[in-house]
Amino acid sequence: MTKKKDNDIISRIPKWAWLLLSLLAAMLLWVVLSQNPVTARSFSPPWVTFAAIQTMISRGVLFQDIASSLISAGIGFALGFFIGVPVAFLMAWYRPVRYILEPWIQFIRNIPPLAYVPLVVISAGIGRRPQIIVICLATFLTICVTVFQGVINVDETLIKAARVLGANDTVLFVKVIFPATTPFIITAIRLGISAALTTLIAAESTGAIAGLGMRIKTLSTTFDTPPMLLYIIIVGVIGMIAEKVLKFFERRLTSWQEKREI
Amino acid sequence: MAGEARDIKVQIKGVEKIYEGRNGKTVALNGVDLDICENEFICVVGPSGCGKSTLLNIIAGLLEPSSGKVLVDGVEVKGTGVDRGVVFQQYALFPWLTVKKNVEFGLKLKKDVTPQQREETAMKYIKMVGLEKFVDSYPKELSGGMKQRVAIARAYAVNPSLLLMDEPFGALDAQTRTQLQTELLRTWEEEKKTCFFITHDVEEAILLASKVIIMSARPGRIREVLDIDIPYPRTQETKILPRFTELKNYIWNIVYREYLEVQQ
Repeated sequence: MTKKKDNDIISRIPKWAWLLLSLLAAMLLWVVLSQNPVTARSFSPPWVTFAAIQTMISRGVLFQDIASSLISAGIGFALGFFIGVPVAFLMAWYRPVRYILEPWIQFIRNIPPLAYVPLVVISAGIGRRPQIIVICLATFLTICVTVFQGVINVDETLIKAARVLGANDTVLFVKVIFPATTPFIITAIRLGISAALTTLIAAESTGAIAGLGMRIKTLSTTFDTPPMLLYIIIVGVIGMIAEKVLKFFERRLTSWQEKREI
Repeated sequence: MAGEARDIKVQIKGVEKIYEGRNGKTVALNGVDLDICENEFICVVGPSGCGKSTLLNIIAGLLEPSSGKVLVDGVEVKGTGVDRGVVFQQYALFPWLTVKKNVEFGLKLKKDVTPQQREETAMKYIKMVGLEKFVDSYPKELSGGMKQRVAIARAYAVNPSLLLMDEPFGALDAQTRTQLQTELLRTWEEEKKTCFFITHDVEEAILLASKVIIMSARPGRIREVLDIDIPYPRTQETKILPRFTELKNYIWNIVYREYLEVQQ
């Protein structure tokens, strides 16, 4: 780890300037890829790709696809979160729950969602329901595992300190375990959002009528590169926006944490 | 002070603690008997692994003895209670709470304390440890010594009659340790509480204690109980007294021999 100097050139350049530089470098790389004969067929140039926005709007699908995917990912994520967090606490608190559930989680966690989407569709039918189920499952697993780690990592002496100050189980949970776990819950949300977005394509692969994932798959059959690339970029941008929003809350909720300056 | 009839605060009766681990049984405490009087300052020294922390945790109610029992004010210890405050070596402050909120933590759990009383009590003890400028700071903004001061204020705030301290100054640098010892002495002389203080530092033990308990290891038991006949008030200058050196050599010799035994 290098020691951070206060007035070196790297820290004097503001954060937004770095972001701009990063964006420009990405654009440059993109242009190079689009001009290189080997990669040109995958990477349409930026200007052609952005022109596809107009094409997709005029086909009347762009906003519909974005909305559809956001709804599926949003509901799936929310369900996964609200089931995952309590289950993680139960697993950490009651060993029998842990011994029964942990093998299940380890078992399902490493199966690619794409593999079981058709099975879900067979029972849940086509449309939004299977998408939500698949996204919910993926986010649930990620969130549950992360929060569980957080709960079992709560410093034992904090629990002891609370006990000797007169805390009963309820107080201990609400005033110690839960706040001590917030950094892990934030991390769980971060990984959960990522899980929801990466599962989106798989979730919409069978029987969807709209959606970013469904559209990418459809466009791929006709090798229509520019809109495909555009849609891929949109998924990435959604992820980045979610991350920014999360960062904002993270700063407010976990500013008490001791962090290493890197 | 010795010989004076005083009320017994804590009775430790035949306390035994056996841990059952992978490598079989470990006897941490083997039949410990001890009476602690009201307002006494007990320091426990002994080689690591002699079960001093285990004993403290049993008195605190954080651990259950395998056999025997501990009575505090004549009542058998069953779980933790606010009559027994604990200060841990690792400070154990709640990092998401400010200094003031940390000190108020225990007070908030007491139903008969009004918000105003809570505020006043918290401020009183924050002032006692000299941190009134840091009431709204978070633990991460404090040095180790300041953190331990907060922990001491937090323990005092709930007004326990018995204060249990598990090597509270063990993680601090020598200078801060000296400072906190002096503060603790002053506080104890002002607001008499029965103290049960664990340390591996023989000088610290003699400086603070009215009675030093020397423990031996494997299995942990009490080797010797020694009244420290140096009158209070004591300061860092107490360490220059010939009697201090005498006691230090005496205790150190026993502890060292115990240590050698553990090595074999």
